[in-house]
Amino acid sequence: MLSSLFLVATIATEHGEEAASGITKIMGDFGINVPNIAAQTLSFAIVMFVLWLFAFKPVLATLDERQKKISDGLKYAEETQIRLAAAAQESAAIIKTAQLDAQKAIEEARKAAKEFGDKQQAEAIQRAADLLTKAQQSIELEHKKMLDQARSEIARLVVTTTERVLAKKLTDADRAAYNEAATKELSAL
Amino acid sequence: MAVDKQTKLLAKQLFKLSLVHGVVSPEQVAGVLGWVEKTSPHRPVALLKAYHHRIAIELAKSRAVVEHAGPVSDATLRQIEAAMTNRYQRPVTASTKSNPALLAGLRVRVGSDIYESSVAGQLASLAV
Repeated sequence: MLSSLFLVATIATEHGEEAASGITKIMGDFGINVPNIAAQTLSFAIVMFVLWLFAFKPVLATLDERQKKISDGLKYAEETQIRLAAAAQESAAIIKTAQLDAQKAIEEARKAAKEFGDKQQAEAIQRAADLLTKAQQSIELEHKKMLDQARSEIARLVVTTTERVLAKKLTDADRAAYNEAATKELSAL
Repeated sequence: MAVDKQTKLLAKQLFKLSLVHGVVSPEQVAGVLGWVEKTSPHRPVALLKAYHHRIAIELAKSRAVVEHAGPVSDATLRQIEAAMTNRYQRPVTASTKSNPALLAGLRVRVGSDIYESSVAGQLASLAV
């Protein structure tokens, strides 16, 4: 704008007196004073420079910095979102793997429990069989013991009865004859 | 009262002095008793008990107790004496003792040895 005004002023100077007088008249009618305008233009330029140097420039720098921060933040947010998505995908995969592992562990536990139960059942059956065998052996032993006792008792009764019968039936002649035989037997030892 | 070792040893020596050809001699026993009475050794009562025990065992070896059921003739006793004398290589005298529990037969006891041939013994072996 200033350059346009200067250009206008230069053109007016260069175009002769008529034009100058006309323009001067118009400028006078409108209250335009060239030195004032130049001074105002200069002061305006100085103010503009000062403002640009101490106000606009820091503000623009701050705006650029904030813009950069916002951009970085958005970029970081996007990266974070991408990472979040990746993490979610990874966690989903981990959860799926964990579910598979858990399922596998459950299956193994069921299998182990079934094997343990089968083993316990087999052991219980074996114990029952052992107990039965021992009981049968005990019964057989008791039976044999009872038979032995009965045999011994019967033999004892037979001997006792025989002794009583012989004590009554043997005569002195029988005893003397037996004593002779016993003497021969003892002498031959 | 326990017999000490020294008394046992002395009793054993006195017992050996009482034997003549492996048989208890009454004269030797009298001599031993005279010596004990004369010298009065240490603990004489214990010594005499130990000496008596050994003499009794030795005399029992020379005596056969014949337990019997029913009559036993003298010839039977002599036969047993001869058999035991031959067996132990020493003179053995037999004495009788009635034992009706044998039913029939004999049981001869010489010292701690027992020889038996009786009906009761055979029946007892059946009952075992």
